[in-house]
Amino acid sequence: MHLKNKTIASLIVLAIGIILSIWVYFSTSFSPNPIGQVQDSHIKDVLVNKTQDSYENKDEVREQTLHIKILSGKHKSKIYVVKNSYSPSQAMTQKYYPHQRLIVTFIKNKPKIMSPKRDWVVVFSIALVLSLLIYISGKHSILLTFSMILNSLIFYFVIRLDIAENGTQIFAIYGAAVVLFTIISLIIVQGLNKKMLITALATLVGVFVSFGICYLIMRLTHESGIKYEAVDYATQDPRSLFLAQTLLGVLGAVMDEATDIVSSLYALCHHRKDLTFKELFLSGRTLGQEIMGPLINVLVLIFMAEALPMTILYLRDNNTLVYTFQFALSLGVIQSLISAVGIVLTVIFATLASSVFLEKFSLKKVGQ
Amino acid sequence: MNTLTALLLLLLVLMIIVGGKTGLKSYLSVVINACLVILVALLISWGVNIIGVALVFIPLKLLTIIYLGTHDYTVAKNSFLTALVVSLIVICLIVAIQFFAQTGGFGDQAGEELVGLSLAAGISFPQIAIVVAIFSTLGAIAEASVAMTAGLLELKHHDPLITKKQLEKNALQMGSDILGTAMNTILFGFFGSFLPLFIWYMRLHYSLFEVLNDKLFVGECLIIMYSFIGVLLTIPLTTIFLTRSLAHDQPKK
Repeated sequence: MHLKNKTIASLIVLAIGIILSIWVYFSTSFSPNPIGQVQDSHIKDVLVNKTQDSYENKDEVREQTLHIKILSGKHKSKIYVVKNSYSPSQAMTQKYYPHQRLIVTFIKNKPKIMSPKRDWVVVFSIALVLSLLIYISGKHSILLTFSMILNSLIFYFVIRLDIAENGTQIFAIYGAAVVLFTIISLIIVQGLNKKMLITALATLVGVFVSFGICYLIMRLTHESGIKYEAVDYATQDPRSLFLAQTLLGVLGAVMDEATDIVSSLYALCHHRKDLTFKELFLSGRTLGQEIMGPLINVLVLIFMAEALPMTILYLRDNNTLVYTFQFALSLGVIQSLISAVGIVLTVIFATLASSVFLEKFSLKKVGQ
Repeated sequence: MNTLTALLLLLLVLMIIVGGKTGLKSYLSVVINACLVILVALLISWGVNIIGVALVFIPLKLLTIIYLGTHDYTVAKNSFLTALVVSLIVICLIVAIQFFAQTGGFGDQAGEELVGLSLAAGISFPQIAIVVAIFSTLGAIAEASVAMTAGLLELKHHDPLITKKQLEKNALQMGSDILGTAMNTILFGFFGSFLPLFIWYMRLHYSLFEVLNDKLFVGECLIIMYSFIGVLLTIPLTTIFLTRSLAHDQPKK
C-alpha cells in the first residue's frame, strides 16, 4: 500500500515535470530575446577550409546555412537565412540541429544566434531527480527537497552579502554560512534531537579544525606554488575566493561522513544494547576507514573533472605537463587535499562524539 | 617546502594514524585516482579516441576507489558490482541528455583564460563534456554504494542471525540517512566548485532566463542532477543485491 502511494506520487511528479518541460520548451514569453526555430530538416553544412594551428592540431571550419523562423518579438513569424560557422571540436562554437529552438538577437535588423535553448533540459532533469527521489525515499523526500531549496536560498543570500561587502569579509561570511548550512540541513533531515546535535558538533569541529590546520600550513609554506591567478571567473580577490570555495566544498563531505558514522553507530547501539565503549569506538573507526577513501575521491573527482577540458586544451597546445598542472589543475588538487584532511579528522571527531552519546544512551536503557 | 607537498605529507600522516594499513591504501587510492584523471587528460590530448578512453577508465576508476579505498573484500566486491551497474545506467542518461543540452566546450565567460590558447584543437569538446560528467558522478556513486554496503555488513557482523526483514528495515532507515547526506556532499561540493561563477552571474545581473540557458550553468546543474540520480539508484540496488546475498549465506552457516 505504502509502496503503491510512493509509486503513484513519483509518477505524478514525473508527468507534471514532463508537461512543464514541454511547456518551457515551447514557451517564448520568459525570454527578453526573440526565440527562433530552425526550419530545415536537413541543414546545409559545407566545409569552408581545413585549419592547422601552430601546434599542428588539425581542425575544420564548417558553415551551416540555417533557415530560422522567429517565434516571438517584433520580427515574429518571419524567416531569416542565417549562416553559422563552427568547427567540429565545438570548443567555443556550436553546431545546430534540425528543428532546434534557439535564442536569437537582432543587430541592425539582422538575426544572430546567441545560444541553443537549454532551459527545458534543466527543468526535465530536475523533474527526473524529484520523481526518483520520491520513488526511493517516500515522505522523506519532501524534507530533502526542502533542505536543498533552503540551502540554495541561503547560498544566494550569502553571495549577495559577499558582493555587498565586495569580497572583503570572506572568513566571517562563509564561516557563518557553514554553521547555518550545517544546522539547517541536519535539523531538517534528522529533526532536532541528540543524534542531530552530535552530528552537527562533529561536523563543525571537523570543518573548522581541519581548515585551520590547512590554513596554518599554507601560511607556513608561504602559499608557494598556489597560482591564485588561475581561479576561474574571478571577479574579486582570487585568494579569498579560493578559500571560500574550499570551505564550502569540504562542508558537504564532512557532514556526510559525520552523519554516516553517527547514524550507523546509533543503529548499531539500538540493535545491541550491551555494546561497550571500546567496541563502539572500533566500529566507528572501521566505518570511518571504509568511508573516508571513497568520500575523498568524490571531491577529488568533482574538483578535478571540472578542470579536465582546460587541462586537455593546455596539453593540446603543447604546454608541458608541469605548466599545465600548475595553471589548470593545482588549485583543484589543493582543494581536494584540504577537504581530504577534513574528512580524515572527522572520523575521530564523529566517533568520539557519538561514543560518549551512545554510552549514556545504553546506560539509561540498562537502568530501566 | 611547497604548499602542495606539505599538504600531501600531512594527509599521508593523518590517514596512517586514523586508518592504519587501510588508511595507507585509501591514500594510494586517492593519489592513483588523481593521476588517472591526469592520464585521461594526456591520452585525450594525444588524440586517443575519447569514447575508448572513457570505457577503459570508468571501471578502472571504480576499481581504484572501491577496492583500494576499503579493506573489507566483501564490502568491495558488493559495492563494485552495484556501482558498475548504476554507472552504466547513468552513462546512458548522460549521453542522451548531453545531446540536447549541448554544454560542451567553454563558456562565453572563459574569454580571459583562453587568451593565447588555440581553440581549433581538433578534438571533440562535446565528447569531453560527457567524460567530465561521467567522472564527476563516479565518485558519488562509489561513495554511496560503499557507505550503504559497509553499514549493512557492520550490522550483520554484530548480529549474524539478523533476519532479512530486519535487515531491510534497517536498510531503509540507513538509506534515507545516506541519501540525505550524500546529496549534501554533492550540493556543497558544487557550491564550492562553482562559487566564482555564481558570483559572476550576480555581479553582472544575469536574469533567471539567461542563467537557465547559460552553457556553464546548465552544464554544472546537469552534472549535479546526474550525480543525484546515481546516488538515488545506488541505495535500492545495494539493498536488493546485499539482502539477497546475505540471505543466501544464512542456511549455510
